[in-house]
Amino acid sequence: MQPGQGRLVVMWGHMALLAVIVGVVVAYWMDARAASLKINNLLLVQPASVLALILVALVVPQCFKRTMPGAGKEVPTESLSDLGKVAALAACFGAFTTTLEIVGFDVATFLFMIAALFICGERRWWLNLPFSAAFTVLLIYGYGALIPFPFPLTVL
Amino acid sequence: MIDFNSVGGAFSLLTSDWSAWIYLIPGLIIGLFFGAMPGISITMAMAIFLPMTLYMDFLPAIIFLTSIYTGAGFGGSVPAVLMNIPGTSSAVATTFDGYPMARSGQHNKALGIALASSVIGTLSSYILLFVLIAPISRVVLKMGPLELFFVAAWGLMLLGSLAGRSLARGLLAGVFGVLLGTVGMNTAGFIRGTMGVPWLLDGVPTIPAMMGLLAASQLLGLINTTYLVEDEASRKISFRQIISGIRQAISYPAIVLRGAVIGILVGAIPGVGSSISNLLSYSETKRNAPDGDTFGQGNPKGVIAAEAANSSSEGGAMATMLALGIPGGGATAILLAAFAMHNIVGGPSFIGHNKDIVYAIIFSNFAQAVLLLIVGLGFVYIAGYVVRVPLRYLIPTILVVSTFGSYAIDGTSSGPITLFVFSLLGWAMVRYGYPVAATVVGLLLGGLLESNLLRTYQVSGGDPAYALERPGALLILAIMVASVTLTAVSKARRRRRTVREMTVREQTPAPKI
Repeated sequence: MQPGQGRLVVMWGHMALLAVIVGVVVAYWMDARAASLKINNLLLVQPASVLALILVALVVPQCFKRTMPGAGKEVPTESLSDLGKVAALAACFGAFTTTLEIVGFDVATFLFMIAALFICGERRWWLNLPFSAAFTVLLIYGYGALIPFPFPLTVL
Repeated sequence: MIDFNSVGGAFSLLTSDWSAWIYLIPGLIIGLFFGAMPGISITMAMAIFLPMTLYMDFLPAIIFLTSIYTGAGFGGSVPAVLMNIPGTSSAVATTFDGYPMARSGQHNKALGIALASSVIGTLSSYILLFVLIAPISRVVLKMGPLELFFVAAWGLMLLGSLAGRSLARGLLAGVFGVLLGTVGMNTAGFIRGTMGVPWLLDGVPTIPAMMGLLAASQLLGLINTTYLVEDEASRKISFRQIISGIRQAISYPAIVLRGAVIGILVGAIPGVGSSISNLLSYSETKRNAPDGDTFGQGNPKGVIAAEAANSSSEGGAMATMLALGIPGGGATAILLAAFAMHNIVGGPSFIGHNKDIVYAIIFSNFAQAVLLLIVGLGFVYIAGYVVRVPLRYLIPTILVVSTFGSYAIDGTSSGPITLFVFSLLGWAMVRYGYPVAATVVGLLLGGLLESNLLRTYQVSGGDPAYALERPGALLILAIMVASVTLTAVSKARRRRRTVREMTVREQTPAPKI
């Protein structure tokens, strides 16, 4: 096989990550410039932002891969269902962390445990429900005894 | 060479307060458990328990975290020997000969060898640190803000360039971390990047961010991992055989010493650490051994070399962290965060003014190494069960415990939200080959880099010629440029060689069957 041959694969996920990094860097840089143009403010932030954008430009070509035998290692190879599981767990985790104070630590933990155990592969409800309940009670009272801040609770 | 006044102070610190000791054995046990669970790294274990140290005094907090570090070092070798799965990345070389030994029925001996080598490795690295810490502190106290800036930048660049597959990705991870580490109000009073969120004025909450990058992100990635451990872990444990393994490890002092020296040197370099030192020590021992051909087939020397090196890296990494305030990787970054949680800034001024605390940390590590021998011996009896804990239960429980830990820092939802955001970022970075440890260290050093650069600017009045008056700084800058260039060249050479080998493989006709 000659160089340049083979199927070109675009790593869209990697491109999305770089887009997020660029978005954060540019937004931060502009915000810093809006705050003040004095050297005391931009001494590190401005050169570091420029360097980050240059490095992103150097990484972008790595998002395009030619699939050749043995070269596929750099391309993540999870199936869509595998990625779906990660996305489902991440979504549950996001909902859990953002609603803890609203619905109460006890309810949020119990619901998250049930959902996360199911996503991670525990299909036996007779195990999932009691484990989630016991773990929630243990953690609320155990951790609650350790820290000085009260957890907002709804049921316990 | 040794500051005996501070040594005396260290003894009184450790003997006057029992709280310094009560966390030692729990820390070792936690480290052993988490290290032995495939998929759970040393840094993950330390990150999960970091918020708990907020309510401890400074010294017990550091002793607790270093105990986890020490315990996990040996814990990782248990699944490596029993199942050919390194519990942590620093136990990869242990599998090469540890598992073949287990296959031939010598798993007890292999575990004994791993335990003894780990204990001796940890002890030797801390003995060296004990001897060298006073002279090191004298040198580092002479460093000004420019030197500190260059040293921090160098450490970060080394971490970024050595840890990942691609130099650009590694450096990007580090620079991105630095930028995130400067969010909020800087030392000159300017407020940037807070997006109107009040809790970002003090910067990105470092501990939840670290927990997200180092622990939660890895847990999200583990959801599709299954380890076939059901049958192989249940091997019979024999105390007598383990003791004979310990004796065998002691009978090869040269290999242990070589492993320890490699471990200390490699551990002291930011970005390299125990993940590399065990492989380097293994290959060096194999190259020098008269029976090098039998390595990989169950040669005990391979296990000794790997374990002595990975456990002694801890002392090397601690030297860099304590002396310069530069964490060499995830584990020392967590220790530095624990320093910050107790309003203590690691680095030259800490080591210069608190040598008694430094010696106390070193002495407690001597005790950890000795206790590891006893606790580790007991642990191998239950290790077979620990390594079989199903990940489907482990992932949600650790995620919840981490969330509670991040809330416990200041009692607001800023911790859990930061944890979530950084777990997503960390998962994506790991997936595409970015070293998250570089982002963590960047996040920790961002503020330090900016304040030192600002101080240099103020001292020099903005005159670049000031650098010429600081030969130490110029020397560090030259070494930094040289080391990054060398890394880039060697990475490019390795990539070209891989492509050449692939091309040759493709052009070679397949044998006809």
